[in-house]
Amino acid sequence: MATTATLTLASTDIAGDPVSVSKVATLTKAGTLNDLDQSIGLNRVHLRSTTEKVLLAANAEGNNLAAKVYMINKSEDASLYITVKINAQTTGKLYGGDFMFIPWSQTDTSASIKVAATNWTSSTGDIPVEYALFHEDTDFLTNA
Amino acid sequence: MATTIASINLTSADLLSDSLSISAIATLTTAGSSTGLTGTEGLGRKKTANTSEYTLFAAANATDDKAHKIYLKNMSTTASEYFEVQIADVVIGRLYAGDWAFLPWSADSTGTNCDIDITPSANDMTIEYMLLTDE
Repeated sequence: MATTATLTLASTDIAGDPVSVSKVATLTKAGTLNDLDQSIGLNRVHLRSTTEKVLLAANAEGNNLAAKVYMINKSEDASLYITVKINAQTTGKLYGGDFMFIPWSQTDTSASIKVAATNWTSSTGDIPVEYALFHEDTDFLTNA
Repeated sequence: MATTIASINLTSADLLSDSLSISAIATLTTAGSSTGLTGTEGLGRKKTANTSEYTLFAAANATDDKAHKIYLKNMSTTASEYFEVQIADVVIGRLYAGDWAFLPWSADSTGTNCDIDITPSANDMTIEYMLLTDE
């Protein structure tokens, strides 16, 4: 069940010589060569509030198991950004078109990933955000 | 103005019952504009001697709340070896052997000290990194 993540960074003019970085990672379970075998799929939400929202709620079972988060701000307005927080700590801002791909340890139930459309106003329109989670813990199923 | 392109492809033929293919391309720009990022500290590698915590990027060296981007990759080939990545002492996650990460960085040094710190799980591990700066 191999899932691969490929990153390419390229520039001909940010430095005196071209920058070309291309990396492929096969997503595996923590500390093993076994493939990650679960995903919540590709999700899309529209943010229309400056209020902070929980995008991915951390689960105790996932503590230090392997999980990877992909997130992209799909706004076509370069000035519209979302603020991304983990465990109440701001990691950075995703401006229109920006994406991120990070490991997520879910060190405790406070380690949820939260987003806010910080500079949204009623006149800016929604900020669409797409995200996916690849993981090995089973707690993303809601207990019956 | 420099032009720097970041692209990502997430693919799997067998994770789901249909093939998975997620792709995105981003032109890296300064905060809130269409002007390309113009700064980089270049592609670097650091070999960590022991399992102590290391500061990879100090927030005090970058302007707060801009559109900085960070690339990280664990160069180990031993599956059990990882770097624990922290921002402002908050654990983000573990980069296991071969894993990479790409993330925005607020570099806030006023409210909290948003250094990017790494803690290797073993001696003599190597991390590859690049900071693209909005200065």
